[in-house]
Amino acid sequence: MNGAAGAAFAGLPGELVLEEAAGARQRCGDGDGDGDGSVPGTLLCTNRRLAFLPAQAPRSRAFLHSEYDVALPCIRKLVAASSFAKPKVLTAASTLKFIPEELAVFCRDFRLLRFHFQENGLAPQAFRVANAIAQAREAAAWLGDSGEGHGGWSCPAEGPLEDEEEEDEEEEEEGSAATLLFESLRDWEKELERLGAAGWRVSAVNERFDMAPSLPRYLWVPSGLLDHDLKRTFAHFEERRVPRLCWHHPGGGDLLRAAGFHAASEPGSEDVRCLEALLLGGRGPCVLADAAELPTLADIQLAHLKLRALCLPGAAAEEKWLSALEGTRWLEHVRTCLRKAAEVASLLAGRRCSVLLQEPSDRDLNCLLASLVQLLGDPHARTLPGFQSLVQREWVAAGHPFPHRLGLLRRDSPREEAPVFLLFLDCTWQLVRQFPAAFGFTEAYLLALHDSSFAPCFSTFLFSCQRQRGHGSPHRPRSQTYRQVSGWRDPEAGAPGAGRAARGLPPVWAWGLRYSPQQRARFRNPAGAAGAAGPPDTADPQSLGRPADAWPGPGAGNVFVLAKGTLSPQPFPWRSGRPPPRLARWAPSLESLGERGGSPGGSRPPASPPGLLLPCAAGPSVRLWRRCYLRGLPEAQRGRFAPSPAGLAEELTLLQDRLSAWQARGPRTEPAGSPLAPSR
Amino acid sequence: EIHIKEPIEKEVHPRLLPGELLLCEASTVYKYIQEDGSNRGTYGKLVCTNFKIAFLDDDSASDDNEPQFKNKIVGENDITLQCVDQIYGVYDEKKKLLTGQLRKYPEKLIIYCKDLRVFNFCLRYTKEEEVKRIVSGIVHHSQTPKLLKRLFLFSYASAAPNNTGGRNQTVMFDTLEDWRDELERTKGNVKYKVVTTNEGYRVSEKLPLYIVVPICVSEESILKYEGRGIPIWCWSCHNGAALLKMSAFPKEQDDSTSQMQKAFLDGIYKTISKPPYELLKTDDLSSSLPSLQDIQTAYTRFKQLFLIDNSTDFWATDVKWFSLLESTNWLEIIRRVLKKAIEVAECLERQHTNVVLIEDNAADLCCVISSLVQVMMDSYSRTKSGFQSLIQKEWVVGGHGFLDRCNHLHKSEKEEAPVFLLLLNCVWQLVQQYPPAFEFTETYLTVLSDSLYVPIFSTFFFNSQHQKDTNTSGESLKTQSGPFRFLTVWDWSVQFDPKAQAFLNNPLYAEKPKPDKSQRKTARFKHQRQLSLPLTPTKSSTKKGFFREETDHLIKNILGKRIGKFINSSDEPPNSFREFYDSWHSKPVDYHGLLLPRIDGPEIKVWAQRYLRWIPEAQLHGGGTIATAAKILDLMEEVQSLQVKMDEEHSQAVSGDLHSVPLLRNSARLSSLFPFALLQRQSIKPALPTSTWKDLEDEDDLVKRDDEFVDLSSDM
Repeated sequence: MNGAAGAAFAGLPGELVLEEAAGARQRCGDGDGDGDGSVPGTLLCTNRRLAFLPAQAPRSRAFLHSEYDVALPCIRKLVAASSFAKPKVLTAASTLKFIPEELAVFCRDFRLLRFHFQENGLAPQAFRVANAIAQAREAAAWLGDSGEGHGGWSCPAEGPLEDEEEEDEEEEEEGSAATLLFESLRDWEKELERLGAAGWRVSAVNERFDMAPSLPRYLWVPSGLLDHDLKRTFAHFEERRVPRLCWHHPGGGDLLRAAGFHAASEPGSEDVRCLEALLLGGRGPCVLADAAELPTLADIQLAHLKLRALCLPGAAAEEKWLSALEGTRWLEHVRTCLRKAAEVASLLAGRRCSVLLQEPSDRDLNCLLASLVQLLGDPHARTLPGFQSLVQREWVAAGHPFPHRLGLLRRDSPREEAPVFLLFLDCTWQLVRQFPAAFGFTEAYLLALHDSSFAPCFSTFLFSCQRQRGHGSPHRPRSQTYRQVSGWRDPEAGAPGAGRAARGLPPVWAWGLRYSPQQRARFRNPAGAAGAAGPPDTADPQSLGRPADAWPGPGAGNVFVLAKGTLSPQPFPWRSGRPPPRLARWAPSLESLGERGGSPGGSRPPASPPGLLLPCAAGPSVRLWRRCYLRGLPEAQRGRFAPSPAGLAEELTLLQDRLSAWQARGPRTEPAGSPLAPSR
Repeated sequence: EIHIKEPIEKEVHPRLLPGELLLCEASTVYKYIQEDGSNRGTYGKLVCTNFKIAFLDDDSASDDNEPQFKNKIVGENDITLQCVDQIYGVYDEKKKLLTGQLRKYPEKLIIYCKDLRVFNFCLRYTKEEEVKRIVSGIVHHSQTPKLLKRLFLFSYASAAPNNTGGRNQTVMFDTLEDWRDELERTKGNVKYKVVTTNEGYRVSEKLPLYIVVPICVSEESILKYEGRGIPIWCWSCHNGAALLKMSAFPKEQDDSTSQMQKAFLDGIYKTISKPPYELLKTDDLSSSLPSLQDIQTAYTRFKQLFLIDNSTDFWATDVKWFSLLESTNWLEIIRRVLKKAIEVAECLERQHTNVVLIEDNAADLCCVISSLVQVMMDSYSRTKSGFQSLIQKEWVVGGHGFLDRCNHLHKSEKEEAPVFLLLLNCVWQLVQQYPPAFEFTETYLTVLSDSLYVPIFSTFFFNSQHQKDTNTSGESLKTQSGPFRFLTVWDWSVQFDPKAQAFLNNPLYAEKPKPDKSQRKTARFKHQRQLSLPLTPTKSSTKKGFFREETDHLIKNILGKRIGKFINSSDEPPNSFREFYDSWHSKPVDYHGLLLPRIDGPEIKVWAQRYLRWIPEAQLHGGGTIATAAKILDLMEEVQSLQVKMDEEHSQAVSGDLHSVPLLRNSARLSSLFPFALLQRQSIKPALPTSTWKDLEDEDDLVKRDDEFVDLSSDM
């Protein structure tokens, strides 16, 4: 199926090379380029992607080479330049009429690839490849929600992967901690157990997606609430997305998320009982945190567009760069999200209460906020598998409409584009930067995830909800866990044909497909918390308030609203307009608190609960993610990954190994006894 | 309102240094913890000595945990008199600047320090007499003009035991040998020589005793115009090209004088442009860089962003942080200075040209540029002792007027300009961009900048070597002990014990493997063809650009500019700079070779450690770079101890007991402001005060209350 370069080019199944131009040069590659900063090789255009095969590169085992590849939907703009004509933007409709000398590919992930064609007789090829890319790009737009528009993507895991898995396998140590995909009942149960959320159970009420089409199959709901009663509540929420548990703080606090109350619903008294059992369930007060203060989807999209424009070379004069950056408002949005998440996280850590994140659709900013809160409060979420499971649960399973938000669809409705997920990655990056020792993954990992969100060969970002993903295979009883990096695995692969009918695309977590072992080695942070896989720090009684029973029983049922850093009592919409009478006296003024804490020479303020990160959202502390956004600038292409202490950690292991070897041989056996020894 | 707890009367005495005298004191002073609007704080005694203003906490005894990083000379509540920037009094909620004589005495005192601390003292509970004495004492001793001899430096030097340790590796450049060694080290001795013409300061009081000039320059010409118009050697590059500096002639009204001066200069240029000397390039820094006045203005505005009274102010400015920052122009000045240094480096490195930096007295921006060029080009200057020697050479002996520029004596505001701070800010950019290339850390730079205001070291308290010499021997005959023996700031053990000094050294410093493999080759870009793309450098309104059809914009900016950049178009000189810069940045960094800072828009950053260290709102518990740094230090320790063990095992030198397992550093969560935050009371402020919830619990307490809502916003 391939052309001349086929021997070196390991295509995907069903991938066709449409055009190719040998003797092209890529400028400013990341490799150790020659003096003139370009790498010679072959430029290929397939029906999937634009690929560059470096001439001297050792045969890369990664079948999608992350550095030299652009998936077609990721191309934002294609510009051809020549010395004899004006530079031209290429689209399917407007094709090239001159022979290009240079081709610049502006990517959605902020990369800028530049290919240069040499003169010696390759001109027609350059011309053909440029036009082919423009055409193929149009044809490759993902059809999205119709569900059937796969365009022939099929399972690459079966094809070229087989031979490489063996080699990758042994390198992966952390394999034991697998990423949960949250497609099976077992994953939900396992995670609930890890959280230690007594009083909650997994409900399969939505197993056929008939209760709420966009919700996942399984929901975490209060144990005391029967499915029969639960069913009464769906109608009262937008898109039938009912409140359900996201996370349980070991101190007792619960994080829930839900869509807005359905405007037209008027629950009867029986429904109200069920609703309140779901929301309050005798667990203490409930704080509603809505998304009103967070940026809207339109805000996010606009800011992202502006940021993208600013990050192009020469977009703003150097001395005006900072105010231009401020003008994009992107960092402002980042700060707002961080601040809100910190408020919610400290509420949960400070007192046993539940916080309900409420967004009208429950499919965008709720995903962001729910994940951020968990990053702040749960050390497990800060490990690599923990983070992947988090994304899987709060974004993928929860029904974030990735294809719409990332703009991967054919221009069906550009208004729906809003990179909420990228905003989340930016917020996460800020946390990683602010707390470099608290995370098990690195900036390089986040960057890889950022880039992969545009690659349409992974199932993770191609669907809007679980129902769509599982379309055609309603039941997948197997526990489908994905073992990190070693490739896409089916634990019951022995059973032939069981799952092959389903979508065969690997999840994005199959990092081995796109990233070399060296690159993946940079995903893990050696200085980070060594994979605290257990439940988050057990509650410190002093800092985490009193045990559950201290909460006055009858008083439970309080509802507050968190807005502008303020808690105010608020009734549920189905209650009468006035706040319930009991509430008033539950709300003290804070002025008194200031005084109380302010006694001269006063005691030290409480120490922060262990495991809780409180990020700083102040101007000087929130930075531009330059390794991501400024990649298009030639100046910024070097040193994409900061030098890490990895080398030091390696030396340490080496020394320890040698020492133990010595000791094993020598007469004296002295345990190395190093508390720092990486536990391998 | 403030709750007055009966202050426990307890005698607390200030710890005085040798030669330090208590001048006045006041008790029952209330010091606010500035972090929030609440009136929390502590009672204590406020004292003023001839060295410092100090607040003595009444129950300081209860302070059990000794901080890991502590300055032995200046404590957390000490402000040296030279460190005081401005003092404000608060009268009926109104702030007023306090300078000379006072008629009315304020109820609150706000002291802004040059190291960016802010102290708030409440005097409402202090006896009126004491208020008068302490306020006028503080204002008088810290804000009014002073004689040089009244500096604490002299009292300390005469009272302190002569404990000059000596074994300092820093080259002081006060002997002929030091200069000769430096010439030899840089292989500059072929074409340049040390001259003793200025012995007894015959040539000029501004020049050091020993100067290095081109071999062909005669003694007469040095003497002719007090050393003006003479190129003075700073440093020689590995290829023989040299960096020189020169004091310009003052603007002359008289035509014939200026004619003569011109002829003199021409003669000088002629002799040093002939072989064996390289081509000569001059750069008049007074016209190509911002003026000292600009620098002072920018810094004054810049530091205002960090001198914060309370958190309300902080959040008020926070919204516009980037545009405020930009409007100060301070980062832009840093960028221009770095750019100039790159230009000079390009001349030396690639064009093999000698560069003469010209400035009025060759002791301000000349020092900045020549030091920066050496830090960038000479890896020795990136070691601790090399950097210190560099400061000695270019600044201390080189004749930078520290006394005037820091306005230590409050003589004249006009002379004040943070020139040395500008250098440290520029070096910080490099340290932050290339950490493994430097033996020292940013903490080193921060404490160095603080040491500018500690008058027990002579280093930063003279305008010139001459001034130091005359004041060392002069009147000291009165005191029996002979000439003063001043301390040098480079003896860090005076300020920090060994444990704290560890924070000044970079554990990840990549030590030079071989002495000679020093400079990288800079290959030129080879491009065969010239593409005729538009080369318009657009500084067009970016705001509109976002919404316009991007195409035009893109083509002009990216393709035009960038492709243009790669093409070898040598039509204008700036391009050779740009090409040099780009070509260097397109290659992997050699930490022991030439080091060029990135200077594009987003690359110049705020030196957060120095400027944000006292702002609790910017604090991260368990975060910041210190979080990794602490881990790295642990790892280093571990690696080193294992190496020791390996050696032992290897040599079979069985010595009974093994080295103990390395002491684990305190693994407590450090704050991002460490090592400076611990000096302040450590506190944590959650995003939402947890106390809210405690109160919600106390039902009985609250039944009577009927407030409608909980307002947390005041704290946010």
